Amino acid sequence: MTDNDNFLDRLRADARQLRFEPDEMMSTRIAARVRERIAADSQTGIAQMLARWFRPVMVSLATLALVATLGIQWAEQSHDASAASLDSMTSTQSVDISVGGDTFSVE
Amino acid sequence: MSTLPMFEGAGAGPLGFDRLVFGVEKARTRSAANEDPIEARAIAAVKTGDAAAYDYLVSKYMKRVVSIAWGVVRNAADAEDLAQEAFVKAFESIGRFKTGEPFGPWIYRIVTNLGLDVMKHRKRFRHEEITDSAPAARGDRADLPAISNELAERIDRGIESLPEMQRIVARLYLVEEFGHAEIAKMTGLSEGTVRSHLSLARGKLKEKLADLHGGSND
Repeated sequence: MTDNDNFLDRLRADARQLRFEPDEMMSTRIAARVRERIAADSQTGIAQMLARWFRPVMVSLATLALVATLGIQWAEQSHDASAASLDSMTSTQSVDISVGGDTFSVE
Repeated sequence: MSTLPMFEGAGAGPLGFDRLVFGVEKARTRSAANEDPIEARAIAAVKTGDAAAYDYLVSKYMKRVVSIAWGVVRNAADAEDLAQEAFVKAFESIGRFKTGEPFGPWIYRIVTNLGLDVMKHRKRFRHEEITDSAPAARGDRADLPAISNELAERIDRGIESLPEMQRIVARLYLVEEFGHAEIAKMTGLSEGTVRSHLSLARGKLKEKLADLHGGSND
């Protein structure tokens, strides 16, 4: 075990130089790309945050508008219907009176 | 990931020295936590939304992160992409990062995991570029000192000839000089499995490099 450990220790000392050293260009490139992606991500983040806020607001407004439109339409329709039925009722309710063989209609 | 049995207790020697070593490694990892006040301030600033403060962390850990990535994927372009991805991923999840903890182990774990994912992907699609006989061509060889070039080359070939997880564990231990506990955290393996991989790697390397370190001529 000790021999083996010594072997690894000696190997470690020599293997250290096998570390990959990125050159200046590579380091600069990585740093720049990371910066770029972080900036893009934060912009996306803002857009997503706004979308998160706007979406429910827009959905609520759309629902309100729809309900209001349907309500008005229903109200108008029911108003028209009641007016029409009153008209028809008043127009059809006539009284026929027969006097001496003649029939008189009184509206 | 590993075909080796798990030897959770394998590291505990009769005198408990291995446990002592674990303890020292853990203590070292922990004590390194708050040694850099600038790092702690940078992390705090990033957490509050100051993205510019992240530059400090990127530049501080750049070399090590790229080296770890390269050690796993053995390709400079992939290592560059992995390092970039690791830094972005770390930034995105900085909210989950515990204040006061060192940034190093965290980013090392992220980059190692990304590297392991790349290796899995390569295996799945049979795009493995590296074989024992033909290690990846890379620029770092030219940077090695001329005298130790041959020695480093042999050690490198020895490590590369190992099965995948042994290779990765051996590289993290020998080249990057991480401890067992640190490697376990980085790879998601147990410490026992790390020791087991390392023990097997040690046996194979000793066989291959017997003339270098096995005799009295070291």
